[in-house]
Amino acid sequence: MAKGKKVTVIGTGNFGSTVAFILAMTGICHEVVLRGRNIDIAKGKALDMSQAANAARQHTVVKAAMKPEDIANSEIVVVTAGAPRTPGISRDDLLLKNAQIVKNYAHEIKKYAPDCIVIVVSNPLDVMTYVMLKETGFPKQRVLGMAGILDSARMAHFIYEKLEYGAGQIRATVMGGHGDTMVPLPKFTTVAGVPIEDLLTNEEITDIVNKTKNGGAQIVNLLGDGSAYYAPAKSTTVMVDAILKDTKQIYSCAVLLEGEYGYDNIVSGVPAMIGANGVEKIIKMTLKPFQEERFRKSVMSVRELTNKLYVLNFLPKDKI
Amino acid sequence: MNNTKVAIIGVGAVGATAAFSLSMLGACKEIVLFDVAKGVAHGKAMDIAQASYYAPKDTNINAVDNINDVKDCDIVVITAGVPRKGDMTRADLLLINAKIIKDVTTSIKKSSPNAIIICVSNPLDVMTYVISKITQWPSNRIIGMAGALDGSRMAYQIQKKTGYSAKQTGSLVIGDHGENMIPLPQNVCVGDIPLNELISNDDMLNIIENTKTGGAQIVSQLGTSGYYGPGRAIAHMVEAIINDSKIIIPSSVMLNGEYGYKDITVGVPIVLGSNGVESIVQLKLDEQTKEKFKISVESIQEGIDILKENNFF
Repeated sequence: MAKGKKVTVIGTGNFGSTVAFILAMTGICHEVVLRGRNIDIAKGKALDMSQAANAARQHTVVKAAMKPEDIANSEIVVVTAGAPRTPGISRDDLLLKNAQIVKNYAHEIKKYAPDCIVIVVSNPLDVMTYVMLKETGFPKQRVLGMAGILDSARMAHFIYEKLEYGAGQIRATVMGGHGDTMVPLPKFTTVAGVPIEDLLTNEEITDIVNKTKNGGAQIVNLLGDGSAYYAPAKSTTVMVDAILKDTKQIYSCAVLLEGEYGYDNIVSGVPAMIGANGVEKIIKMTLKPFQEERFRKSVMSVRELTNKLYVLNFLPKDKI
Repeated sequence: MNNTKVAIIGVGAVGATAAFSLSMLGACKEIVLFDVAKGVAHGKAMDIAQASYYAPKDTNINAVDNINDVKDCDIVVITAGVPRKGDMTRADLLLINAKIIKDVTTSIKKSSPNAIIICVSNPLDVMTYVISKITQWPSNRIIGMAGALDGSRMAYQIQKKTGYSAKQTGSLVIGDHGENMIPLPQNVCVGDIPLNELISNDDMLNIIENTKTGGAQIVSQLGTSGYYGPGRAIAHMVEAIINDSKIIIPSSVMLNGEYGYKDITVGVPIVLGSNGVESIVQLKLDEQTKEKFKISVESIQEGIDILKENNFF
């Protein structure tokens, strides 16, 4: 029998901790390693979660990484690290700051866990996934960003609010970048096989689409200090589960496009089959002209940021 | 509904697998088994009770010798009935099973007056109609198990064709639970992707055909009907009612004007919750599907008419 599965979570904030906690509670893997800047916090949370796993009668052990090499032999590394935007810091400064954090961890991952699959959740998501790809030099199958699953879950929730039934059965499709430029596809959205266009009016669907786009901001406003992490963490563990169990399920993920949908050398959210090898296949959907246009805008907004990283000489031009 | 009591009437392979699935899920507090073969009911109750030691939750599983002792159940699953044998005509089979269902239902009506009944006996849609007429209960409490099983069979066909996980395949089959059933794979998404983006039209037709013959394919290999699929599908429905999930599960229910029909039980998508049928979901059918639905309804009506001609009601 193969050894027990090991997953490393980088970043011990709310997001990373919740990812680790879900993994420990569900027993998806045997070992979870928490890697953060503050080792005491990582140790404290690891102890707390290991004890919770025993209460839940799960076999999962949570440990803190005392040194970078402790991430060795991880099947999956989830990267949640990154600074939040604080007053006074410009968007560009934040971009560079987070790109630097992701770059440092990319080098660690390349050195100590060279065979792992990396799931990136740091923001801005599509750009950070791109940085991870370039800095690890991993094949594109092994670097994916989590975005579409969360956006789809949010859309499904807003559909449920309208219907008041079908929770858990709603399949909502969202493509494109994570954030304002996401491309929801209500045409391809169903409740247990029933198209939502049979169940809701156009006005209601438009309202749902708008709520989905603002889904993250709505929570930020309510919390006052910080952003959502339960749904983002659960969405991340859905990907971990799909990889470790080789489920071949289809999820919208941020992946490197190389000609698919007409774009090259750019990361964006598209439906992909996820299995033991990471991204096993990118699925091409037929888009309507207005959806193609929205997708183009979404890709362009990511391109603008990656170009900035090249202009600032953050990413070496020879890696383009 | 933490103290839910579920009865299974008829503990053949389907009924027993339903009970086993429920106990493995820890879905309810108590399961009562009844079968005319008393030893079978008692033996299976013991076997399942012992297996439930390894289940996540406790379930009390008991058998009773007299159907009148199936008391105060929240949900009653009826699987009773005989299979068609050599020289039996369709009408013979209908009358025999309708008589069995009538007796069972008359007893349930007295002993578990507030129950929700899940009918599994065949021919499914006609037997659901019989239960509805005998109990005279509101139609939200009488549900025929059909689409839950046919849907899982269609999801299986889709997985075989695409290679993608069936776990995230929606599945929609309406119409009668027989040869005129209407699988609707064209509506289905795999993950978030509409099936027609993934496979050709020929493959789609192939999925429809294989879904319709899904039961017969098992019979031809096994020599008897499948029971794992049906048993687990029943448990799925029971769980939805107990948890008040309000999820869509296509099932055979009494129509009262929906889809343009009245006084007929046929498979349509319903929302299943603690009241049984919470609502009937109205699909927008195209002309071709409407025609198929009509044929489906007529085939059920034929069965009901046979019972009427024989003064069954």
